Amino acid sequence: MTLSKKRVYLAGLALQLSLIITVSSRDTFWLLSTSRTIFPESSKNFWQRAEQIASIPLGQRLPRSNPVRQILTGYLHLSGIEAGYGFFAPNIPNSYKLVFELRFPDGRVEYELPRVSNVASVLRVAGLLDTIGRTRSEAFRQTMVKMLADAVWREHADATMIRAIFGSVVLPSAPEFEHGKRESYEFLYAYDFSVTDEATEQRPP
Amino acid sequence: MKRLSAWRKRLINFCFPAETDTWLAVLRIGLGLQVVLYALSLRGDWNYLLAGTGHGLISRNLGEAILSLESHFVPRLGWFVPLATHAGLHEETVLSVTWICLIASGCSLLIGLASRFTAILAWFLHLCAAKSGGFVSYGLDNFMTIGLFYLMLSPLPDRYSLDWRLRKSRPRDPQHLGFWRRLLQLHLCVIYFFSGLTKCLGIGWWDGSSMWRALIRPPFNVIDAEILVRWKYLFPVAGILICLLEIGYPFLIWNSKTRKIWLIGICAMHVGIGLAMGMYLFAFIMIVLNVAAFGPGLIRTELQTYQPGTVGKALIN
Repeated sequence: MTLSKKRVYLAGLALQLSLIITVSSRDTFWLLSTSRTIFPESSKNFWQRAEQIASIPLGQRLPRSNPVRQILTGYLHLSGIEAGYGFFAPNIPNSYKLVFELRFPDGRVEYELPRVSNVASVLRVAGLLDTIGRTRSEAFRQTMVKMLADAVWREHADATMIRAIFGSVVLPSAPEFEHGKRESYEFLYAYDFSVTDEATEQRPP
Repeated sequence: MKRLSAWRKRLINFCFPAETDTWLAVLRIGLGLQVVLYALSLRGDWNYLLAGTGHGLISRNLGEAILSLESHFVPRLGWFVPLATHAGLHEETVLSVTWICLIASGCSLLIGLASRFTAILAWFLHLCAAKSGGFVSYGLDNFMTIGLFYLMLSPLPDRYSLDWRLRKSRPRDPQHLGFWRRLLQLHLCVIYFFSGLTKCLGIGWWDGSSMWRALIRPPFNVIDAEILVRWKYLFPVAGILICLLEIGYPFLIWNSKTRKIWLIGICAMHVGIGLAMGMYLFAFIMIVLNVAAFGPGLIRTELQTYQPGTVGKALIN
């Protein structure tokens, strides 16, 4: 291999690694700015600023329609490096649960969970519920819950109303578990969907 | 000036080491198996998870619309569905054909038939599925994309493939074998460093509470909490061990004396994650990437090692 060809490859390697490190740093800063860590609470503004700075070379501060941003983001997705690697870190958050309460014309009430057929899909649905639980956008949350409710409705076409109850699974610590405490559910949101296809939201008091 | 020249030489030697294609064979076979298992694991829910509005669990169209806001260049199933429906095919048929092509590309990678083409096909189809079903994607999909991306760019075929043995095809640039392996190795170092760092910065990984929570958190609660609680004194040790394994990876995996311990430790950690948390596919892809990146040098016995200047000669002949 000629030296000039090697230089091209080296430049590619340097670019790829710098992108991986920048994305990982940005996501680490985001985790530090939003989670409880060994750093004081007062440092969160610093990490937020660091995240914003790390977003600059990734084109994330440019308008969405900017071609540089579009191409760069496209490449990150194509090579699988668009997200960082803070798995199960810095802490393990609670998980979420979505229960559907179906009401039928004859007064019957049934309960359903989002249904998939195997373990691999269950992991994926759990990730989806985490996304719904963590979002700050009420419109997004409502849209997602409505779509999940639609899927349940297709299985129970005769139901006249569905109440979607979204909650957080509160996990006990090991000492608490030894003292008899078990996982519990904390109500977060409820949405009512009727045949008129309008959703009304209820929040915890 | 001499020092600079020496540094440049060292850098080039590091990035372009003499290398056999054993690591590439491990990566190809491992990823082929991974793609097959991935497709089989989603067999029952493939159409349900990836259907457009009104047919599936959530709308693929919404996921793709959000993806379009990020970039128009990311492959997605929505590229084919309108074309196919225009030709009179149902969306369901398109999704089923995609699944069949994905599993066929996985099988083909496994045996090494049309290696380059099937590596590209597997990368493309998996990426389409992972991005179109972005709401139900997780870390596993990222690692599969990473592995398939490096595989399709590496000098295929390897000598264990059917392409090599039956079709007598040879890689065009076998001298790049070391470069692509190095890139995979460096990428893994960054992954583990940041994964370890973020864990170390949390409080729960030092006192074992994160270990406990990870193991009892639905849907990862494969082992009964009644059994787990008996081992609660081991959680702080296991938590710290995981932090050390991950954050120490980029420093200790290179040294020939510590490499074997670290590689076995990391693979054991992933086996543990797979068995204790039900993340079998995630564990498998991580083991494949690790073994491909750092394994072959450890178990090399009678395999030929190319010397600088002769790299790839045997592969060409």
